[in-house]
Parts: sequence; C-alpha cells; structure tokens
Amino acid sequence: METMLRVDQLSKAFKNKQAVRDVSFDVRKGEIMAILGPNGAGKSTTIRNIMGIMYPDEGAISFSGHDKIPRYKIGYLPEERGLYKNVKVMDILLYLAELKDYPLKKARERALAYLKKFDLEGHENSSIEELSKGMGQKVQFISSIIHEPELLILDEPFSGLDPVSQDLFKTEIRKLAEKGTAILLSSHQMNLVEEMCDRLFMMHNGERIIYGDMDDVKERYANFKCTIRGKNDQHELEGLPDVERVEQDEDTSVLYLTRDVEPVSWLKHLPENLTVQELSIDRISLHEIFIDIATTGNIEQKEGATHA
Amino acid sequence: MRNALKVAKWEIRRNLKNKSFLIGMFLTPALFLGFMFLGSLFNDSDDDSKTTVFVNDELGLFETLEETVEKSDLNWKMQKTDVTEENVESELESSENTAYLYLDDQTLDEGVIPVYTSEEIGPGFMNQVQTLSTPVKSLQMQQLGLSDEELAAVSMSIQFEETTADELAAADDTEASESGGLLGEDPFAQVIPAAFALIILMSIIVSGMYIFQSASNEKKDKIAEIILSSITPGELMQGKVIGYFGLGMIQSAVFLAFAIPISVWQLGDVPILEYLLVPELILLVAIAILGYFLFAALFVGLGATMADMSSTSNFQGMVMMLPFLPLIFIGPILSNPSGIIAQVGTYVPFTTPGVLLIRLTILEDWPWMEIIIALAILVISIWIFMKLAGKIFKTGILMYGKNASMAEIWKWIRA
Repeated sequence: METMLRVDQLSKAFKNKQAVRDVSFDVRKGEIMAILGPNGAGKSTTIRNIMGIMYPDEGAISFSGHDKIPRYKIGYLPEERGLYKNVKVMDILLYLAELKDYPLKKARERALAYLKKFDLEGHENSSIEELSKGMGQKVQFISSIIHEPELLILDEPFSGLDPVSQDLFKTEIRKLAEKGTAILLSSHQMNLVEEMCDRLFMMHNGERIIYGDMDDVKERYANFKCTIRGKNDQHELEGLPDVERVEQDEDTSVLYLTRDVEPVSWLKHLPENLTVQELSIDRISLHEIFIDIATTGNIEQKEGATHA
Repeated sequence: MRNALKVAKWEIRRNLKNKSFLIGMFLTPALFLGFMFLGSLFNDSDDDSKTTVFVNDELGLFETLEETVEKSDLNWKMQKTDVTEENVESELESSENTAYLYLDDQTLDEGVIPVYTSEEIGPGFMNQVQTLSTPVKSLQMQQLGLSDEELAAVSMSIQFEETTADELAAADDTEASESGGLLGEDPFAQVIPAAFALIILMSIIVSGMYIFQSASNEKKDKIAEIILSSITPGELMQGKVIGYFGLGMIQSAVFLAFAIPISVWQLGDVPILEYLLVPELILLVAIAILGYFLFAALFVGLGATMADMSSTSNFQGMVMMLPFLPLIFIGPILSNPSGIIAQVGTYVPFTTPGVLLIRLTILEDWPWMEIIIALAILVISIWIFMKLAGKIFKTGILMYGKNASMAEIWKWIRA
C-alpha cells in the first residue's frame, strides 16, 4: 500500500520536558491508523508537528515522499476545537473549504449532503451558537472532510459524542478509508479503536511503546486472562502454573496467564477446592493494555523483553 | 498573500453580516455628529436663554450701554425700568435669568454699581457685566472735565505685544502674512482635510480594537488550530490586519457619507469639497493609515495573548490605552504647536499619527524635516511591531483558554 505520511524520528521538547522522543511511523492510503496513549503521552504534540502548527526539534515528516506538507490535501480535526460563534453553518463550511482551495460550488453540494447525512438538514442557515455541542462537533467533522482530503487526521474525534453520533462518525470514517483516504486517528475510546483500526501506534511519555498491526498487537500483547468470582486465597492462585500475576478485588480474582498458554488444557490444572461462582477466560483487551501502560508501564518492560 | 486575502475577505463579510457591528457602524457617526451639531443648534435657538437686564438709569447712559453690549456680542436683552432698589426683591422672585442695574450719581462717586440677579442667571454674567465699566468710567472722566484727547489717553489700556524671533523670520520670509488667530486666515481650509484624516484615523483605530477582539475570540472559540491547518499563522495575521483595515475604510466611508452632507448643510457658506480635495489630504490620510497599521500590529498581537478580557493584566490594559495617548498632548500642542512637547509627541511612534495630524492642522508652514523623520520612525516601528506581533501571534493564538503572562510573551519574542 502507498505510504501517504511518514514520520521519521520525530523529537520535540518544551522547556525541559521532552514531549516527543524519536517517534517514527507511517500512515498508508486507505488504512485507519490509531495513535493511542494516556493524557500527556505526546499524541497531540505529534499531530501538531505533522500539521506544521509546531516545528519538530529533530526528525522529518514527509507526505507522499515530499517534505512540504500540502495543507489542502489534509483534513484536520484538532482535539481542542471550536467554531466561530455568531456565524452561519454554511458560511463557515464554505470559508474552510475556500481556505483549502476547494471549488465553492462543489463544497456547497458536499456540505448539504453531509448535513443531511448527519441529521442536520435545514440547519445550514442556523448560527453555530444555536447548535448543541454534538451538532457543533458534527459540523466540525464535516469541515475537516469537505475538501475530500487524501489524509485525514482526527484528534479525539469521539470525545463528547453520544453513542448514536459515535456510530455515525465511525461509519463515515470507515467509508472514507474504503475510498482510499489515509486516516490517522487518536482516541481514548479503546473499544472503538479496536473495532475500527488497521494498525496502531501506542505511546507513553513521548516514546513509542507498541507499533504494528492491530491483530499482531493483540496476539502479541493480549494474553489470556481468567476471571474467577468466589473467595479464594491469592497465594494459592499465584501458585498455579502459567500464571504471571494475580489481581484480587474482594472476591473477584483476575489471573493473567503467560503468552503461550492453551486455555483448555490450562483449565484442567485448576484445583478442585476452588470456589467458583463464575469463571471466564478471554483475551486482555486493548483497553486493559492501555490502562496497564498508563498506570504501571508494564508493557514497556515486556516489549523490551520480546525485542531482546 | 492569497490566503491572507481570503482571511481578509472573510473577516469583512463576517462582520458586515453581524448585526451589532452594523449597528455600531451607523450609530457611531450618528452619535458623533449628533453631539457636534446638537450643541450648536441649542446655541442658536436661544431666545429663552437670553439674560434680561433691567437698567434703572438716572445718568442717561442707557444708549451707550446698549451699544457696548451689542459690540461685545453679549446675549442680553436690555430694558429700562423704574423699579426701585427697595422693590427689586419681589420683582426678582418672580423672574428667571434677570438682572437689575442701578446707575445714579452715587454710583459715579463711589465707583460701585449695584447689580441684583435672579435665579438661573448664567455663571459668566458677572464677568460680562464688567464690560460695562468702560462707558461708565468714561462718563466719570467726562464729569471731571477732561478733554476728549485726555479721555482717549486715559481710557486706553496699555498692552504688551509679543513678537518672537520665529515670527520675525517668518515675517521676513512671507510678505505681509497677516496672522488671523490660531488657524490663519481661513480656518476651514486647514481644518477640513485634517478632520477628514482624523475621522479615518479614528475609524480605523476603532476597527483596530475589533482586531483585538477577533484574535481574542479565535483563541476563545478554539478555532485557530482548524484555520491553521490550512494556512500559516503569518497569513492569518496578515489577513486580519488587511480585513479590519477594509472594515475601517468602510466605517470611514459611512461616517463621511453622514458627515459631508451634514457639514455642507450646516456650514452652508464654506466650500467643503473644495477645501477637502487638496494635495495635503494625501499626506494626512497616509499618516492616518500608517497609524492604523501600528495599532493593528499591537492589537492583533495582544489579542492573541488574551482569551479573557476580565483577567487582563496591567500591562495589557496599558497597551489598550496607547491609542488615546495623543489626547495628553493636545493641550500643550494647542498652546505651542512647535514646542518641545509637540516635537516629542511627533517622534514617539504611538502618538505620531495623532500629534502630527493636530500639528499639521494648526501650523501654516509644515515642518517637512520633522514630518519625514517622524514618518520614518513610524514606518520602522510598524515593521518591528509587525514582526513581534507575528511571533506572539504564532504561539499565543494556540494557547487556548488562558491569558499569556509577561514572561511567556517575552520568551516567544526571543524565540
């Protein structure tokens, strides 16, 4: 697949703090690439550097092999976003399209089509301050794609949306990717990321932690875990084979299993005196990996181990 | 530049669609001109504001007094009366803005003229009354038996007449330049182009204030980053400066559309347009426009540092007041348009446009050397402030929801 955006060994520091260190990744045509990480990990800084809103201290960013980012081919929805308050919806959409050098007639047609799609039909002459927050976000989303960008960068597109609107956005983003748009998406909503993305890049403290194919990542990091409800002794559980660690909360115990474990045969090792109200085995979700990184940095060490 | 023009066009269109901007645009000149001409209207329709002065004249001076009053343009209505000093109290109680004067032999001897005034008498009345002392004095002299010549000599006061070295030089240069008051022979010839330029300066400084608001709102509404994904901060800033310049011009046009017809109507005998369309106007308007660019740079940079007007720091508040600095100089300039204070004001870039416009209105011979130096300083300052504003704007506009501190601004400037 054709590479649309390549970020090469990007570093950026503020004052004494290294916000982003040696970050490299690429985004390809027609894929959805997720950039993940806890607050303050450096996601937005990375994105702002790509957009040329900040300039990197070190490293290079190229777009289809060119150094200069052609802004009119990029759609951008920043994390901190808003719209002029006392302006009509259509006016602002056309203004933003004009800034991208997109033909106005086409922009108007597309704007109307998208407003209809997002349940905002008839609102094109409303002023922004009359809209609800969710409606405003829809208008912002439309503004980022109205000029048919080849690369779309979405920083937390789902924050503050209700589930219905989330689905609308999700479907639209997927459709854009199918049509060949390269999409870079940052989000905290792990379930959405897990559903939508082809590849992911997870960062913590400005550094890369995980980078790769969604399925590979899941396979590599998402070991099985066994959740048992019932009063049991933690030490006894820790003594079981293939258990990496045990987390206990009241009478629920979560046993994190080692990588190569075979769930069915592992179940046979469970002692008969175990109290079981409920028992489930599943893979660790992206959500848990994320929490794990954000709170302990465990994966960091693990990745170090696997790459060693 | 193309992108900057897009921003400029947008800012103009956006404001012209904004009701409060439109109202302000038409209300400002209406109010301004309203106050200017309303005052003169009231001064003209003045029959009820005339002070009625009753004179109980036992000396036969009434006609002379009336003549004096007419000559000194006092707004009086003179009448003879027989009301005696004993009855004056009751007369005054039932009247307003009225005075009684008593002239008899005793007053001549003692040199004191009793004046009784009612309520609502104008505050300057007692000063005005003093003008009557001259005819009374001459009567006094006549009675002493002085000849007319002696009278003339006595009643003439001694005056000192000042002629400065400058004036001597000027008198040598220009043959018989008659000094007719502060503004020369025909005040309108100079005042009209300057008033035109002042209107432009004022309009665009006001729209400079709008720039501040626009930059600050961009920060508050968090739209800057969306805009900056399409264009550079420099283009956004230029676009704003150009756009609000356009708005200022529109505002000026509206203002003048009110002012010129009204002036023509009010000052019927003055050939307004003839005085307006002179070569000097080009320089005056150029000064006003340069003034705009200086303050636009200042305000666009400042706006980018402030999201919230209510928590402005002292420093930022002071910058907001800079356009009004020339007001401080008006007094000294009027009293001496070539004095040291006027010159200092000419060279300080923030006051240059205002001070220069005032001085050029008053001065008959323009100090070209000073004008050129001042404009050079102004142009250089504009360049420097645009650079600084660019640096501040670039970082400040993205600092959402927060006012920048002095230390931060300083850091951005040095970066």
